[in-house]
Amino acid sequence: MNLQGSETSPTVRLARRAWLGAACAALALSAAPAFAQSGPIRIGVPTAMQLQVGRDTQDAIKMAIDDLNAKGGVLGRKLEMVVADETENPETGISAIKKLTADEKVDVLIGGYTSGVTLAQLPHISAAKTIYLNVGSASPATNAKVKTDYDNYKYIFRVGPLNAALQARQMTGFISTFVKGELGISKIAIVGENAKWVQDLVPLLKKGATEAGADVRTVEFFDAQTSDFSPLFSKVKDSGAQYMVVVLSHASSDIFAKQWHDSRFPMAYGGIDVKSMDGDFCERIGGKAVGELAANFAVRAPLTPKTVPFFDEFKKRTNRSPVYTAFGANDAVYIYAEAVTRAKTTNPDAVIKELEKTSYVGIPGTIEFDENHDVKPGSATYKGPALLFAQWRDGCKREVIVPKTMRTADFVYPSWIKP
Amino acid sequence: MLEILIVGAVSSAIYAMLAVGFTLIFGVARVLNLAHGSFYALGAYGAYVLTSQLKLPLLPAALLSVALVALVGVVIERVFIRPMRKSQLAVLMITLAVALVVEQALFLTFGSEYRNVPAFIDSKFTIGGVNVAGARLLALGVGIVVIGALWLFIQRTRYGSAILAISQDPQAAQYMGIPSDRVFSVVMGISAALAATAGILAGPFLTVQPTMWLLPIVKAFAIVVVGGLGSIPGSILAALMLGYAETIVGYTISTSWTEIVSVLATLLMLMLRPAGIFGRRAAF
Repeated sequence: MNLQGSETSPTVRLARRAWLGAACAALALSAAPAFAQSGPIRIGVPTAMQLQVGRDTQDAIKMAIDDLNAKGGVLGRKLEMVVADETENPETGISAIKKLTADEKVDVLIGGYTSGVTLAQLPHISAAKTIYLNVGSASPATNAKVKTDYDNYKYIFRVGPLNAALQARQMTGFISTFVKGELGISKIAIVGENAKWVQDLVPLLKKGATEAGADVRTVEFFDAQTSDFSPLFSKVKDSGAQYMVVVLSHASSDIFAKQWHDSRFPMAYGGIDVKSMDGDFCERIGGKAVGELAANFAVRAPLTPKTVPFFDEFKKRTNRSPVYTAFGANDAVYIYAEAVTRAKTTNPDAVIKELEKTSYVGIPGTIEFDENHDVKPGSATYKGPALLFAQWRDGCKREVIVPKTMRTADFVYPSWIKP
Repeated sequence: MLEILIVGAVSSAIYAMLAVGFTLIFGVARVLNLAHGSFYALGAYGAYVLTSQLKLPLLPAALLSVALVALVGVVIERVFIRPMRKSQLAVLMITLAVALVVEQALFLTFGSEYRNVPAFIDSKFTIGGVNVAGARLLALGVGIVVIGALWLFIQRTRYGSAILAISQDPQAAQYMGIPSDRVFSVVMGISAALAATAGILAGPFLTVQPTMWLLPIVKAFAIVVVGGLGSIPGSILAALMLGYAETIVGYTISTSWTEIVSVLATLLMLMLRPAGIFGRRAAF
């Protein structure tokens, strides 16, 4: 008896313990999603907080959250925002992702600015299995793995801006139809800043421009710290080019425009100039940008029914004109909210399936994602986001010049250039 | 060729204004002031605030800004540097801390946006077929005048003699009854004023933002290492060398390579001749 008892009882106890353990684990597992699915939906915002792109990201997300919460939230849950500063440094960017996913346990990430930072963050976003809606960085590399390694990188989406390859294609269109077609100039110089997305874009641009029949006389890169553009201008002038196509971001835009104006450089310039998208760019450099033609992802014009109301509401709330991250950030909140509503859960796998079906009329155009989860560009038949080339005019006002269908005024050369 | 000559001269003038002040305070007080770039930034921000927010005309705004920054320099010397002057390491740390505090204060007050200092001259000049912005020529002219005036002040005035005496032998100077603390204050004020002038003159063709102090301090540092810490003629010569070297690299190789010139020059000089061109002894 005793023998039997002493033989069976530990086994039974062990089995019971194992069963209890399993039951507890199962309970815990079933309780975890139940817990995660209640309370507010948390939106993590990794962005460069001290820059205008970062502040506009936050303000635009806040606008969308306030609007959705006023309408009762999503699936009956309120939305809330948690911000982490990713600066322009990859290390800090990774810490921001870890803080938001591990500590703050956010449901979705909306943000991004510098491509180098976003690329460094990708493995960490994927490891955290958290949906990431990029609204700032433009390198095609950020979405390259979605198709090739779907299981790990399906979390990555880009709501805006158009990636550098698409921007290059639209820039090529600008060179062939406007610079060559309308201004009648075929000798061009391409000037770009040494940054990841520019290095991605310039070779594509050069190839496209050459194929479109332009004569690319020189391609010049310069360091982001450059404080004197005289040598660069001199080389461009000596190359025999007659129009300068630029790809600028970060700090150099202000100095570039000032020195171009100050030396009355005998060549008009236009292209992608990220800082020139700022509403106050021209004014803050004392009107020296007048004559520059710069690409924008949206301007205050009726691109969609949402564009003008968004610009006005943003201005009312912040007393600033929004920059491009604001469009993507605001649209991203609604796109995510709609996907969650359709999926009836915040479970990432279910939401990703719904995000892939997105067709959302946003601020710069209709937002849809391709197989790389990258935003599809607009074309003659599809009203997706497209580059709008606007010229700074006297009084620091902007007029849309390209595309022709959106034109608000004709191009005018800077006062010191006689075509 | 002529273009390189003119552009190089403008860079050199700005660099010289930065480096002379930096080397002056080292030569006299043995203070390696890492907050020197902050005076450059404060000068530019001062001119920005006075012109765009208080709507003062540019010239009074610029002069007032220079005076205020000189005062800030004197206060920093009196409050932060003087109590620790015996330890060069402590001075390095405290001046770096001051520089970072100034940067953060500018961030908090003005944000990260780029600001603009209006130019005294907005027209373009053509010299021998080369187009040069008026603001640059002005920077060159003012740079020459200011450094010339400083040279005369040191060589020809009683106060200048006191400064020279202290830089040659501080102890002997003190025995001769020269009030060294007061001289240090004045030199710090002059040094800050020079940097602020450079900031105001470069503001119109560069940009004004909170991290703008960093590059000038790197350049000033490179120049005084090359020229010899504490030597004013050395600084002027090194400023010319660096200004032209950068310009020539920019014109002949690529603008992407200009920024490495100063760092490379510092490195080479420290390896080959740690005392610099005119330095009497190695500073480190």
